[in-house]
Amino acid sequence: MIDLAFLNVSKRYRIPSEGAPPPGLIGRWRHRIARPTTEFWAVRDVNFEISRGESVGVIGHNGAGKSTMLKLLSSITAPTQGEIHVNGRIAALLEVGSGFHPELTGRENVYLGGALLGMRRAEITSKLDRIVEFAGMSRFIDVPVKRYSSGMYVRLGFSMAAHLEPDILLLDEVLAVGDASFQDKCIGRIEQLRNSGITIVFISHDLMAVQRICSRVLLMQQGQLAGSGTAEEMIHRYHEISRFQNTRSVERNITGARAASTGIEFLSPAGDALTALPSGGPVLFRLRYETPEAVSKVRFLVVVQSLDGVAQFTLDSRLAGRLFDLPAGGGEVDFHVDSLPLRDGFYAIDTVLYTEYEAEALDYQPGCATVQVQGERVREGLYYVPQRVEVRPAAVVSNRS
Amino acid sequence: MNLTRYDDMLSIGPYWLMASSSAKIILPPAFTLRYFARGIADLVAYRDLLFSLSQHRVRVRYKQSALGMAWAVLQPLAMMFIYTILFSVFTRVPTAGIPYPVFVFCALLPWTFFSTAVANSAGSLTGHRELIAKVFFPREILPFTYVFAAVFDLLIASVILAGMMIYYGVAPQAQLFWVLPVLLVALVFAISLSLLFSSLQVRFRDISLAMPLLMQLWMFASPVVYSLDAVPERYRGWYVLNPMVGVVENFRRAIVGQAPIDVPSLASAAAVSVTLFLVSYLLFKHQEATMADII
Repeated sequence: MIDLAFLNVSKRYRIPSEGAPPPGLIGRWRHRIARPTTEFWAVRDVNFEISRGESVGVIGHNGAGKSTMLKLLSSITAPTQGEIHVNGRIAALLEVGSGFHPELTGRENVYLGGALLGMRRAEITSKLDRIVEFAGMSRFIDVPVKRYSSGMYVRLGFSMAAHLEPDILLLDEVLAVGDASFQDKCIGRIEQLRNSGITIVFISHDLMAVQRICSRVLLMQQGQLAGSGTAEEMIHRYHEISRFQNTRSVERNITGARAASTGIEFLSPAGDALTALPSGGPVLFRLRYETPEAVSKVRFLVVVQSLDGVAQFTLDSRLAGRLFDLPAGGGEVDFHVDSLPLRDGFYAIDTVLYTEYEAEALDYQPGCATVQVQGERVREGLYYVPQRVEVRPAAVVSNRS
Repeated sequence: MNLTRYDDMLSIGPYWLMASSSAKIILPPAFTLRYFARGIADLVAYRDLLFSLSQHRVRVRYKQSALGMAWAVLQPLAMMFIYTILFSVFTRVPTAGIPYPVFVFCALLPWTFFSTAVANSAGSLTGHRELIAKVFFPREILPFTYVFAAVFDLLIASVILAGMMIYYGVAPQAQLFWVLPVLLVALVFAISLSLLFSSLQVRFRDISLAMPLLMQLWMFASPVVYSLDAVPERYRGWYVLNPMVGVVENFRRAIVGQAPIDVPSLASAAAVSVTLFLVSYLLFKHQEATMADII
């Protein structure tokens, strides 16, 4: 049985155009009432089907249409063209907590949140005890939610969603919120739900979590469906479309094309190409560039960011203490990193070339590569910190004194 | 299973219903019967949300306020005092022998219901941007809850009216049962305007800015402080196009019974309200489809 189907679905947004209003009182007034807009297709002619019991991931770069797809799936906004068929009750995990009303008590909010998902009152009553118990909130359930700590808030929201028993569960970056133990609890419950046979749609930047949860992955690119297949295949494709031959970077207007980065390689200190970077280990970032003409005072930057666009660290040639005068031709820049401070996961790379006298970059290639970092050196937290460890049993200390 | 089979299944209604009671098709907005029917079906499925939210609306409104529910009667009471001083002490408005406080208070009840319902619901969508951007539910529930909360206030305030009638010795007449159809018309009219204004407010924030002025003008265009008889006969035809004329005047007549029910004004109020309801509900559902994008 098909639970979800997109039939030629497109979604158009109108973005207000930039530009000053026409002169005159009437012109300005008309400009306010009906601003000129430009069209933007966030999702274009997308077709797919999801069967009951499947767990499907949706991945893609920023602006590929993932969030629009989530909004379409959950009926928050209607498609401009096409039809979406939904067979069953849809629940979105995170959004339950955001529907909480601060003045109401926890109990009242459970009823309200359940009703927001289209549940009947009797149905909620029958699950109330389990929800409260799972959240560990029985003492505070009649306290207004505005007095809750953020942890209590999240626990109640999650516990509600976890007990709703929807037919289709939509997940959007759930794992980006909360502490590590909460994330584990989340993933555990999601896996449990998946095994119980409900349909899961997981829209995320977190390729690792997608790989763990999803049996099939849809890859979105510029509003269109670029592929559908196993998690491994699609994550591989995801990396491919973000390489240098990617159309996005070719389109980019390079100021005068006086210098441009043409590739980046990830090497071991011995110079062997790495397929995955070791968390906490040594890595050599080799940036290749071309200079059709001689350029003076150039600065090279490599920005490493998480896939949701948060910069993690920057490799900066300025830290060498000077700027570089480059003859016409090309060359390489090596950045030696002794211990990569990242935990395991996927990261996107931007490269930027500056010259000292110009505010605008000579070349900027956002998301020109994606890398995977592997290793278990970071148990909890975001970063690897180089460390020395000594363990001194107390007996040794007392002998010394 | 391929897509054509899937479509076939949809057309075989009963079998499909057995398979799942909550199958639905999300379509682009359109002024079609199918789209309209789906809106109604959604509203029915979410009826518990409508009741929960309306209930919470009433509770939340008076939480952490010292006077609590007293606020529901304070406004019409205060207006009653002011208008009594203005129109029965400073200058005399003919009331057909009814004590002026009772005369004006039983008009203020439906009027206050209408004006609070419409004025509060106008901002109901823009005031819940978070919810609209993140969760699906039939959006008309939000303006409806403000209308229902105003119904609740009306019920409380009518206790005061009963007290006043006993104090002034005004006995209810046989035509008292007319309050029910009158209030039904008022409800339909308030709901229609709440749909219209709240969805317009999403695009034009002018609506809530214009609300106090609009309501003030509207009150004097309705027979609240004066009676319908005071309006010259030649203007009546136009005057009764305002549905609040039929509502306010007949609510008063039903309660104090100073004159028989004015059926023409009530009928015109009902006709205008029902027409406006159909138009505004269709417009609202059409707007709803893209509300989350522009709110």
